[in-house]
Amino acid sequence: MSYVPLKDILITARQEAHRMRHYYLGVEHLFIALLEITNGLASTTIAEYGLTPEYVIDAIRRKIGKGSRHRLWAGIPNTPRTEIVLDIAQDAASEEGRDHIHERDVLLALLDEYDNMPVLVLRALGIDIAQFRDTIFSRPSTSDASQPFVKVDFASSFEGSLSKEELFVLRRMFHGYGQIRIEQLLTGGYTTARLLVVTPTQPDGREDAAVVVKVGATDAILDEAQRYDRYVKGTLPPLTARLEEKPTAPESSDLAAIKYTFITDNSGNPSTLAQAITSWTHSYTQQWLEDSLYNGFGDRWWKQNRAYRFEAWQEYDWLLPPVLTLEVVQSDTTPPGVHILRYPIKRQRVNTLQYGDLVMVENFTVQKVNPERNAIQLALGQGSHLTRAYQVEVRGLDFEQEMYFRGEIVERFVGRVWKTRNEQLRNAARSLEPEFDISGQHIVYNELRMPNPLEHYNALLETTIDSTLSTIHGDLHLGNIMIGPQDSPLLIDFGQTREGHTIFDWITLEMSLLNELIQPLASPGWKGAYEIIEGLISLNRGKQPVTRNNELTDAMSIIVTIRGIIARHINSWLEYYLALSFVSLRAMTWQTLDLDNRRLMFLVSALAMNEFEALQVTGGTYSPHTEAPDATDFMSNN
Amino acid sequence: MDLTMTIIIMSGVEDGTQLPFDANADGAINEGHWKISIGRREDNVLRLRNDTFVSRQHAYLHWRDSRWWLEDNSSTNGTFIENKSDFFNDIPVKGIVPIEVGQLFRIGRTWLRIQSDG
Repeated sequence: MSYVPLKDILITARQEAHRMRHYYLGVEHLFIALLEITNGLASTTIAEYGLTPEYVIDAIRRKIGKGSRHRLWAGIPNTPRTEIVLDIAQDAASEEGRDHIHERDVLLALLDEYDNMPVLVLRALGIDIAQFRDTIFSRPSTSDASQPFVKVDFASSFEGSLSKEELFVLRRMFHGYGQIRIEQLLTGGYTTARLLVVTPTQPDGREDAAVVVKVGATDAILDEAQRYDRYVKGTLPPLTARLEEKPTAPESSDLAAIKYTFITDNSGNPSTLAQAITSWTHSYTQQWLEDSLYNGFGDRWWKQNRAYRFEAWQEYDWLLPPVLTLEVVQSDTTPPGVHILRYPIKRQRVNTLQYGDLVMVENFTVQKVNPERNAIQLALGQGSHLTRAYQVEVRGLDFEQEMYFRGEIVERFVGRVWKTRNEQLRNAARSLEPEFDISGQHIVYNELRMPNPLEHYNALLETTIDSTLSTIHGDLHLGNIMIGPQDSPLLIDFGQTREGHTIFDWITLEMSLLNELIQPLASPGWKGAYEIIEGLISLNRGKQPVTRNNELTDAMSIIVTIRGIIARHINSWLEYYLALSFVSLRAMTWQTLDLDNRRLMFLVSALAMNEFEALQVTGGTYSPHTEAPDATDFMSNN
Repeated sequence: MDLTMTIIIMSGVEDGTQLPFDANADGAINEGHWKISIGRREDNVLRLRNDTFVSRQHAYLHWRDSRWWLEDNSSTNGTFIENKSDFFNDIPVKGIVPIEVGQLFRIGRTWLRIQSDG
């Protein structure tokens, strides 16, 4: 076994310093260089903590930040701390009678120096430094890179296929087991990640309880694990799904996986609510939503109910397509006639921008790096000013020339408008082949006249709303709710978990029920969407839902339960319709949703805007929901 | 006033540098209030000349009521303090905020920390 010598580490470290425009050699560059050694000590040890080198590297880069193009000195000097660390490493090598410092010496020296940014970052990522050091100290070699062989079997209930890459990650995750059986692929998620029910078998043939494994892009999976630690752990009822182990994130793969384990009685495989609901009676489903889901998680989540006043864009802009897609323009100076976008954004000005306009964005944060498409996604603001709003996509980047990392703050960027949000939404609406005109302020369909969401969403984003804030799941659709033993609710997928608008989860669930349970009962085409809208209108008037189809009417009773839960968390139904407008408009753009459901989502958005405007215009004298508090109170706050 | 303190630079080209300050020699004292100016310009008590993100007169550290306070002086690129609950989301300093010994703070792109002198 040979360790990488210091001189090779220094080459990589200098490259890193150069890419970050640092022009000095710091301990952060040394540590990043150590992490970049394939199958090196640092990267393999990090993997045992469920992290990948890339993830840690980006975290360090984010904390340190990129330097400016101005150089204030020549050469690349070592920082004083680098000198100290290299001294410690030299002492360690000398003690072992070696002249040359290598990988292990530098890594241990960095950990022993202790008071440095890389170590602070590792600690912030949940690594116990003393334990981490012991692991490295006890490992003389890094030769163990062999692929563990775990036999993979597929149950007959499994439909679909898994890629080589996915199988690799699964084998790594279940290292030590003799065999795993893939029971089923769970559907209903809107992400590209795969949710699998897996039963592992011990080498001696004993079967362990089934678990749910999510395999997805490494960044997203590691983020989910961090969010779980921050928001979810410690807020869960005793009988539910947990992330008991760190994620599996093999260094050689872009994919990672996490495992949700259940406290189960082994009485069968968990199923999703989407599956279970088809065999439950509607009244049982209603009772379950109320007692098991809402009351089970409510105390630590939705019932927190802290007062929260926000402008709609703060919570809902990010659901919509990027405000702008820019094609990058190389420019070191400020071009004449350029439109500048910076915090706080003037929405009216963004809306006047058109194809070909020159735009300069200032102080945005990189949200997503997409090397395949040569694109990055930016969000407005930085630090605690960072909002998820006003996403801007920049395409046509040359990643060979310039490096970008997640969390990086971009001081300035010049580009030409390639596509606007309006265009994207309009294209999505056109693809629905509407049987009515979508170019005017209103849409008229059968005897219904409603606001055209494409023309009205912008003004709605400006609305100020008095609401409540709580810990929310962030993506509470039927596929993310699993049913465990005794029909206990097992929530999974915490990739969007955050502090947010309390009723968002329940609106998401309402839409998911419309899409997966209710819409299939309606007629095909626009006709079916209209049938459901009729039912929703009666429901909005505080009546029992009435549709032309008894089966449909029955199923909509579940929506009544959801609305009942929402009613406990709102100041006025204005709050509900506002959020609903955006949640449904987002779903209209989802290509993973079938055409008839996207049609329904467009009409739901139009109806929500209709109810919102009616409620607002009449100052609360006309209230769709009889149980709603008087909306005049809200109006006077404006 | 017999008061000394040490600032440790935690990032940038001077990472690892320890800068000792003495209330009797550095900065201004006014009725038990010790004020240390931070910036890129030469006349600052704590001078950060190697960070182009640091403003000429960027921020102040104050010793007042037996504790440290950090003030941003309308700097271009901001002053930040470490966020204890979310290490990767630094808190921008608006006005004057209390800062603890050992807590990281950032002037431009340079991370610093007040060291306890025991």
